[in-house]
Amino acid sequence: MTLVTTPAIVLHSYRYGETSKIVRLLTLDLGLQSVVAKGAMRPKSKFGASLEAHSEGAAHIYVKPDRELNTLGEFEVNQLRRELAGNVERFALAGVLAELVIKFSSSEPHPQLYVYLHSRLNQLCGSTGEQLVVDGILSLWGMIRELGYAPALTECAADGRPVSEGDAPFSVKDGGFLCDDCALGRRLSMVPAADRRFIGHAIEDTLEGIPVFEENTAAAHRRLLSRFIHYHLAEGRELKALDYWEALN
Amino acid sequence: MSAIDDLNAELAKLPGIGRKTATRLTYHLLKQPKPTVERLASTLRTLAEKVHPCQKCGNMSESVLCPFCVDPRRDDTSFCVVEESSDIDAIEKAGEFRGRYHVLGGRLSPLDGIGPEDLAIDALKHRVEQVDATVEVIVATNPSMEGEATATYLSGVLKTTGALVTRIALGLPVGGDLQYADAVTIGQAMAARRKMPE
Repeated sequence: MTLVTTPAIVLHSYRYGETSKIVRLLTLDLGLQSVVAKGAMRPKSKFGASLEAHSEGAAHIYVKPDRELNTLGEFEVNQLRRELAGNVERFALAGVLAELVIKFSSSEPHPQLYVYLHSRLNQLCGSTGEQLVVDGILSLWGMIRELGYAPALTECAADGRPVSEGDAPFSVKDGGFLCDDCALGRRLSMVPAADRRFIGHAIEDTLEGIPVFEENTAAAHRRLLSRFIHYHLAEGRELKALDYWEALN
Repeated sequence: MSAIDDLNAELAKLPGIGRKTATRLTYHLLKQPKPTVERLASTLRTLAEKVHPCQKCGNMSESVLCPFCVDPRRDDTSFCVVEESSDIDAIEKAGEFRGRYHVLGGRLSPLDGIGPEDLAIDALKHRVEQVDATVEVIVATNPSMEGEATATYLSGVLKTTGALVTRIALGLPVGGDLQYADAVTIGQAMAARRKMPE
């Protein structure tokens, strides 16, 4: 058994037995980990309030090779992110990010994913109103990129030919924008040029300044995101937090 | 499946009971006199048949309305909102609250797919609106992230009713010791500090 100390973000936790908790962590050095925090529910537990969802700190994990459930020795919290609970949409978005990491990442270390989740949770903490709407959509496209499912943007998702500038058809099934020939005769969502540019910036993480979305535009982005995630990532599996976030709006 | 296996399987579904404890309990029951086991079975049957949520507040009760809802001495202008019926026992033991209760039946939890429509929030709003006086709603959901998000949501929903929405305080336990408290709890206690009475 090896003791590993690594930065970690709490994704989810639930009761295990009378006094313990099982905690899903995204760690910098060990990727996605399930750990048991023994005695975490006791009133005088050393874990205290540190294992709340979305909190971040240094996790001391006793790792045994080939074990699915390791033991959490200690968790020194340095960011609690209580602000996320101050707004229901913010809280739901943080839940969707956590859900995507839990369901679609692995125990392979993925430092870029860790850094991305860290920065998006921090961003969401201070986000409100129209900015929160855009931040949410940005965060989810970025998460899709980090998990390796980015849609095709400039080359046709079906045949690889360049997609012309301006409005373009988006095929969830093919995994991105299509050229005119491939879109011919198909019923597809037509994404206006400005929204296409936004998706491009969101995927490539190059957005400067936050645009303001009309409510119907925001709803269209949410629908597209949800369909894309359900089709490519979930493959029929239930995504409770994503469905909750979509229903909230 | 034998009767022993059946009981093992049923007991193992209970919180905090694994296969080993379930087996131990099953064999303990087998050693008991028959009337003792029959009494337990009868109690469980009665529990399943007679106990149901109170039509007003959602607390578990054997009658249509629970004892807290029918007690005329309790304050109609003060509501304490809790996640589960079992939380009411904890608050009652403190003896500080003399108003009415409201059980939400859970808390917002996106990862578990629990949204506002899964909680008794509309019923709470309806109850508050029916009171013809200024109402205080004390949100006593757990001090977890989900409990806080639920409290935030309730505060927004109840804004239109004109009710005073308050949140139970967070901080150090009475009789506790600062040096054994975790940093987060101390931080919350500092943030929620109050002026000393003169």
